Amino acid sequence: MAKILRRTRKKKKKKIVENISSDYNQPIKQTIEENKTFVNAELGNSFDIVIREFKLGKKNPIKAAVMYTDGLADKDLVHNYVLETLMIDVREAELNQQIANSQDLYNRIKEFSLTGAELTEITTMKAIFNHLLSGDTIVLLDGFTNGFGVGSRGWQDRGVQEPSSEQVVRGPKDAFTETIRTNTALIRRRIKDTNLWFDTQKIGKRTKTDIAVAYIKGVASDDIVSEVKERLQKIDIDSILESGYIEELIQDETYTPFPLMYHTERPDAICAGLLEGRVAILVDGTPFVLLVPALFIDFFQSSEDYYQRSDISSLLRLLRFFAFFLAMITPSAYIALTTFHQEMIPTPLLISIAAQREGVPFPALVEALMMEATFEILREAGIRMPRAVGSAISIVGTLILGQSAVEAGIVSPAMVIVVSLTAISSFVLPHYNIAISVRMIRFCFMILAAIFGLYGIILGLIIMVLHLASLRSFGIPYLSPMAPMGIKDQKDALIRLPLWMQSRRPTYLNKQDKIRANTKEPKPTRQ
Amino acid sequence: MKRKIMILLLSFFMCLITAGCWDSHELTEMALATGLAIDKEGDEYTVTAQVLNPGEIAGAQMTNRLSVSTYSTTGKTIFEAVRRLTQTTPRKLYLSHLRIIIFGEELAEEGIGRAIDFVSRDHEMRTDFTLSIAKGMRAEDVLKILTPLEKVPANKVFSSLEMSQDAWAPTKVVHVDELIDSLTSPSKQAVLNGLYVQGDIEIGSTLDNVERVNSPTLIKIDHIGVFRHDQLIGWLDEEQSKGFNYITNNVSNTVGSVACDKPGRIVIEVINTNTELKGKTENGSPKMVVHVTSEVNIGEVLCPIDIMKKKNISDVEKKVEKKMKDIMYASIDKAKELNSDIFGFGEVLKRQVPKQWKNWEQNWDEEFTNLNVDVKADVKIRRTGTISESFLNKMEKNKKKDE
Repeated sequence: MAKILRRTRKKKKKKIVENISSDYNQPIKQTIEENKTFVNAELGNSFDIVIREFKLGKKNPIKAAVMYTDGLADKDLVHNYVLETLMIDVREAELNQQIANSQDLYNRIKEFSLTGAELTEITTMKAIFNHLLSGDTIVLLDGFTNGFGVGSRGWQDRGVQEPSSEQVVRGPKDAFTETIRTNTALIRRRIKDTNLWFDTQKIGKRTKTDIAVAYIKGVASDDIVSEVKERLQKIDIDSILESGYIEELIQDETYTPFPLMYHTERPDAICAGLLEGRVAILVDGTPFVLLVPALFIDFFQSSEDYYQRSDISSLLRLLRFFAFFLAMITPSAYIALTTFHQEMIPTPLLISIAAQREGVPFPALVEALMMEATFEILREAGIRMPRAVGSAISIVGTLILGQSAVEAGIVSPAMVIVVSLTAISSFVLPHYNIAISVRMIRFCFMILAAIFGLYGIILGLIIMVLHLASLRSFGIPYLSPMAPMGIKDQKDALIRLPLWMQSRRPTYLNKQDKIRANTKEPKPTRQ
Repeated sequence: MKRKIMILLLSFFMCLITAGCWDSHELTEMALATGLAIDKEGDEYTVTAQVLNPGEIAGAQMTNRLSVSTYSTTGKTIFEAVRRLTQTTPRKLYLSHLRIIIFGEELAEEGIGRAIDFVSRDHEMRTDFTLSIAKGMRAEDVLKILTPLEKVPANKVFSSLEMSQDAWAPTKVVHVDELIDSLTSPSKQAVLNGLYVQGDIEIGSTLDNVERVNSPTLIKIDHIGVFRHDQLIGWLDEEQSKGFNYITNNVSNTVGSVACDKPGRIVIEVINTNTELKGKTENGSPKMVVHVTSEVNIGEVLCPIDIMKKKNISDVEKKVEKKMKDIMYASIDKAKELNSDIFGFGEVLKRQVPKQWKNWEQNWDEEFTNLNVDVKADVKIRRTGTISESFLNKMEKNKKKDE
């Protein structure tokens, strides 16, 4: 199916052309005036670009200019460490005319005057724009074709808050933010290892979004790291606004309802992934960090599993798998049993279902589709609507659609129970994207059940398992460690054994640094 | 290209739609039959189905319509009659949830073999329903009776049969596979439990019957019908039925009483029995040994006896053993009289002395009537209840004093 779709897609690929009016790669011009005109012309005199001209030195002053983007640059930093040092300190430190006219002035400013921590020398107009639009401050001197970019990034951000999508009862409550720097700090704070490497690049012709590939050198498999980098390199797009863009552009298989990359806003989950040998992809501008490879069972695990007792974590994991099947199968099983296999229902139950269906004007499939669709609409409404009308929606949803539909005899109470069960079960899954997969698959199963009964459901399950087995995430089979089976990896798959039993990293991810712990079972040292 | 894909997809969905759904039927299109009564009418069968009215059983709002209705029709064969029922019922009869099939006595006497074929062949029927005979009446009359407590009369009959088999013993629940087994076996004969309507059938089929505290018309379960091949040839009474169940190891719990030495009775509750059948040869002729081991409790003491004394207890045990033997012999005698090996003695002999069995196989009927059966009973009293001496004794003494 996927192949057919792929073939039909038009193969004409259009190269994205940067809309450049002038040659960006030209060197910086000699005079401040020229540079100022050029920058202003290129940026269309945008009012957030601040260009401050001043004179440098006491005797024979030379013209200089400082440029920064208002809002992106930290104004205090610009005032205290750039403007003040250049205008006051340099003046007080007597400038020798001899020096001033030569390259030495430039070096002096670089070595003694600019007190900002990040300092880059820039030579081209392109560099000016890159730094300027990233929030850095540009310092230009009259007569020099070299300039400075002083790191002064500092804009308004949200600050580290609680995660909104993956809540835990026990565990860290911080979440990634929209700023990549904060995010790398959140990871670095947890893993103080020299082998934690960040590999950065800018993707997006226009957005020039900062992307960082994070991994622990030696733990993460080199194959996976280089695969991730290669795939990122192949991206040719004008904008990256969210990590979802990256996910869609580099995932192994598009035509699948299952997520092949894991995303989370929890730094602890990312760190756990890195320590297992996975690779994280951080994207500036979004709190959602990607983690690859992502396997089927990862979506049934919550980071809280590792903070709680292992026995309850194991039970909860099994419960999640059970809920997954409930969410997927319940409506279709109801349809199959009530329209094909009535003999399988115990007599008293059948009588009560029959009594409820008495007078319901629709066949079971239509009834189920109607209720499921209604629920999906309600759910979608619940996400998008303004908070203020939330209570109104819930009243309409529960009272009118639930109770009244039953009282009016349009749907049977059993159907309402089935739909509620599916809905609640799908919320048990700790990751939203696997819940989305279930939502889609559920409808296929319902139609299969209405056509073939239980045979259809089994058929669907077989197809689904075959499909799952065919998937790979960055070279790792999606169903690992179930298929291919890894006996040792079962310690942290369907169930979670105590940490001291898990001395090895997942074997399907690691080929090199395999041992992660060497702790014996805890026992009192003295009796 | 697009066209091709469209055609491919379309034919795929056509496959789904045309091949699927053929055996799907909505719950609202089917009439759930819980009971089926089969009678003979000349050379035609009359089939009566008891059909549920689900809304009246489990619906949110009940009206005063009845929870079940019966439909009946005749046909040359059972299947034909069942399908002809759609002429009168608005929905197709659905037989998977059948609880009971009742044969009229007249039909049973003529032979039930032909009627069973459909029952065992039809894929819709599960095998967990029971079969019974309407004793001395037409089967359809039994299905007409409304029962208190259970809204579905067929269910009431089914659970009565099971409960009384479990707690009272002279009842035998027979499922269809077991019946066919007995019908086809040369060394065993079939039995079916009997049931009948006590009271006026007309009143029984109206709501009147369930609106009174004591329903005037009731369905009673009693007696076990003895078959020879597929024909009903006689009935075991309550004692004999109990004996039958003892021999066939089908007693789980029952109550019986024995007379004391002094006037009065002592009642025992059988809590656990196990029967072993042994086949032997004695001077070239077959012999059966029936050995019943039984654990009993004392349930009622209605005579002046000190049950704390060991001797008295073993006395009672002996009496119970004798009583058990008596009822078993009574049941064997009745079976011999009817010349029907309902206990499956022949099967036991065939298994345990297969060589000699060949000599008797041909005229097993005759051998059975002359069969030497030795019944042994082993009774142990386990508990005597929560009081030791009956307060009746003290009461009696006080009475005497007053006199």
